[in-house]
Amino acid sequence: MNPLRVAMAVARKDLRSEWRTRELVPALAQFIVLALLIGNFGFQIDSRNAATIAPGILWLALVFAGLVAFGRTFAAEREQASLEAMLMTPASPVAIFAGKALAAAALLVLCEAVMLPALSLFFGTPFSGDVVAAVLLATVGMAALGCLFAAIVARVRARELLLPLLTLPLWIPFIIAGGLAVQSAMGLPGSYQQAIGLLIDFDILFVVLTSLAARFVLDE
Amino acid sequence: MNRYERAALAAVGLMLVAAAAIFLYAPTDALQGPVQRIFYLHVSSAIAAYGCFAVVLVGGVIYLFNGSIAADRFARAGAVVGVVFTTVTLVMGMLWAKPIWNTFWTWDARLTSTLVLWIIYAGYLLVRRMAEPGRQAARFAAVVGIFGFIDVPVVHFSVTWWRTQHPGPIVVNDALPAEMLATFLFTLACTLALATVFIAIRYRIETLIDQKVNAVEPAEVIAAPQPEAAP
Repeated sequence: MNPLRVAMAVARKDLRSEWRTRELVPALAQFIVLALLIGNFGFQIDSRNAATIAPGILWLALVFAGLVAFGRTFAAEREQASLEAMLMTPASPVAIFAGKALAAAALLVLCEAVMLPALSLFFGTPFSGDVVAAVLLATVGMAALGCLFAAIVARVRARELLLPLLTLPLWIPFIIAGGLAVQSAMGLPGSYQQAIGLLIDFDILFVVLTSLAARFVLDE
Repeated sequence: MNRYERAALAAVGLMLVAAAAIFLYAPTDALQGPVQRIFYLHVSSAIAAYGCFAVVLVGGVIYLFNGSIAADRFARAGAVVGVVFTTVTLVMGMLWAKPIWNTFWTWDARLTSTLVLWIIYAGYLLVRRMAEPGRQAARFAAVVGIFGFIDVPVVHFSVTWWRTQHPGPIVVNDALPAEMLATFLFTLACTLALATVFIAIRYRIETLIDQKVNAVEPAEVIAAPQPEAAP
């Protein structure tokens, strides 16, 4: 079986089931708006400090929305025990994993499409292609790592507890580089080019590593 | 006294000798004063922690390739001992930083990556506890251990590139006076010996736990209530 077609089929299946229920994306979008609201009251934002605080709130909201999104990726499969059925087909586990990661990343991108305009609406920060590019690049690596650990915790007790503990430390490189990229795109000092280059390096490193590890996590 | 008790006693004895060397033999630092004596144990336990996590990494890789239970037990032992030494490193570092940097904590590359290291392997121990014991826990933990080991240099690199204020590696570029260097190397050797003994003891404990788990399972099956025979 062509692994690319398997991955696309799995991603399509996940996105279709999300489209039919329309549960996750509206919930996450609402969660993100709430996070911005809390950030606004927690920090006393005005036009002078918005650019300093907004990038931090962006990454906090994105990271926690991402945790919820990736936690859900394997939840439905677990409830229906459908992952075992998929793994029994001749399709390679890595292709199945890639499909799930792709679908989860797509859902997260939808949430970002709500978050970035909302951020610049509420905080008055510039909404530029540079910010979008940084967030999208970080999403790639975060999706790969998030899905890998979601697959691990799906078969573990107390999975809601464990997913953030395992995933967040591994996301830190993306938050460091992505944070710097967004800060410099919003007018704070820092080299945007360098941060973007670093994000691309991390994406390549962690996508390759997760695809090597996926075999051991899904192969049961 | 069995051989584990003898080894433990020897390791503790060595650490006491190292303490004597640190406080009696090594000269007091001209700039930092007696606080500098923290350096010997701080750097030694950091190196011991890296060694332990290397054991976790190698054990995990071997386990993923051939399913060796011994490799997995070494990984488990390395993670527990490594978290202990990382905790020592962090606490000693903070005690040193307060008088010298006038703050317990700063988001410098080494501090950040050591904290991330601690969090990752604490997570590793939680996975071990929460996953169904056996092949699955071993596999998942191996993946976590490998990713953790790779993540730490990445975090370190990204923060270094951003900002750093931790003192550079002074041991290698031979800035230490001879007595200090000798004390450091001796403390390092003693700490590594202590870590090795810890891992050996922990390995033994993990073996006993495995045997107990394997021994309990069939007994539980027998003890389960049997359906009553039809009259």
